[in-house]
Amino acid sequence: MTDTSALRAETGEAAEGPFSQHQGPFGAFAIGSPSPQVGTIADAVRRCRWIAVDINASGFAMFFAGPTAERDRLVACFDSDYPGVSAATKFMSGTGGEEMVRHTRLSTEPRWWCDDGAAGSGAAFRDLAWVRETTPLVPATAGIAFPVHAERGQCGLAVFFGLQIALRQDQLYEIHARCFALFSAVARVRPGDAGLSRAVSKRELECLRLTANGYTSEAIARLLKLSVHTANQYLTQCAQKLNAVSRTQAVAKALRLGLIE
Amino acid sequence: MNGSAAPIQEFPLRDEKAPLSSRGDVTGFFMDLAAEIGADSYMLVAIVHDQDRSDARIVCSNWVFDAIELAGKRLIARLAQGALTTAPGSRPRPLVASAAPDADGLVTGEQARLLDVLGHGEIYSLRLDVGRQRLFCLFSAASAGRIDQVAVMKAQLKCCYALSQVSHLLAQASMQDPLSDRERECLFWVSEGKTTDEVAVILGVSSNTVNSYITHAIQKFSASNRAMAIATAIRSGII
Repeated sequence: MTDTSALRAETGEAAEGPFSQHQGPFGAFAIGSPSPQVGTIADAVRRCRWIAVDINASGFAMFFAGPTAERDRLVACFDSDYPGVSAATKFMSGTGGEEMVRHTRLSTEPRWWCDDGAAGSGAAFRDLAWVRETTPLVPATAGIAFPVHAERGQCGLAVFFGLQIALRQDQLYEIHARCFALFSAVARVRPGDAGLSRAVSKRELECLRLTANGYTSEAIARLLKLSVHTANQYLTQCAQKLNAVSRTQAVAKALRLGLIE
Repeated sequence: MNGSAAPIQEFPLRDEKAPLSSRGDVTGFFMDLAAEIGADSYMLVAIVHDQDRSDARIVCSNWVFDAIELAGKRLIARLAQGALTTAPGSRPRPLVASAAPDADGLVTGEQARLLDVLGHGEIYSLRLDVGRQRLFCLFSAASAGRIDQVAVMKAQLKCCYALSQVSHLLAQASMQDPLSDRERECLFWVSEGKTTDEVAVILGVSSNTVNSYITHAIQKFSASNRAMAIATAIRSGII
């Protein structure tokens, strides 16, 4: 399949709704179901496997990249050993992935690596435009990591590795686009910090959003028809739940977590 | 590449493997890309928040001056961030000016006619993720169907890659008066929950100096207080 037709297939599929809000994010599996259904991680794994097959990768993994400076680790979402966890994923979740987390926060360019003995795959990456080499993420393999981002500001990384990867320049954009679509579906199923975002109430977030837009407690109280004490209390609770020491830090954390825009 | 002064027809084709390094490179990149997908114009926009309004800061564009003035920053912000804006990996849908009053209430009939007259009959609005920074790009053509939809999907990723190479320029390109390194450092530590005194110890300066850095930053952002300055800095990817 040529690159163009692959993209067309992807867009044609999209027309039926896999990436639209109205149906399950994993499309093909949700079509025909009577009510809008949310896909599962298993669906995401299947979808990711198709991408891996298209570039002849033997392993893959999808990560969330911690949004705040205090957590520089990759947080595994699933990998090719799903429902288990592969040794490669454990390796990347450790200090090995820290550099990629920092890269993902600043750049969307893919990064490839090629450890000794994986020369076959390395040749596939060397001539590609827009991608650059990095230190090996998984020892004794070659692979490529695609930074991805979702609607509410979540960052992630889709990683593919193997000894026989084949990736053409015109294929690169299509593969990365599919990783983006997949991650945004995954982020809807499993928001990065679900526990945290549920804990903060709507009212508290509203106060925090207004604070970020420059409103004082008094102005917030007037706007939301609350007493100043209540507005302050919401903000204090918010800061506590976000584990922040001040409301300024709470604003910063909420923005980085994507709780407010 | 250094061709910003050269006539357009002599504009050298960019070598895709040469990294972008200057504002001129960004302009050259967007001109080539627009031509490649069949678009007449491009506009790269950063959105800035001010209380409850969103405003557009244009980073680079080849829209004629009058079109920008007549359309207005508000409309541009709405186009860039509207219901038709597509994330990377989704299927892009254009705004067709002749059919626009139906299109999700994004533009009024009058605005649609204006865009059509100004040569933006069809507009693709793309969200560009450059690390955590978020920018928006409008590609437009005079009449519907001129722009290749599949090429737009590819172009969107190329834009993300290209802008990643100059992300350090971008964060501040949308600001009229960029922050100094010291001001940025102070804001970062405040966003991590440090008090003025703690920041003073970290940076090894007096707390009056820290306060003055932060005040300058607040002024440069035209923010009303620290919290808003922090929020602005995070939204524009400076910290």
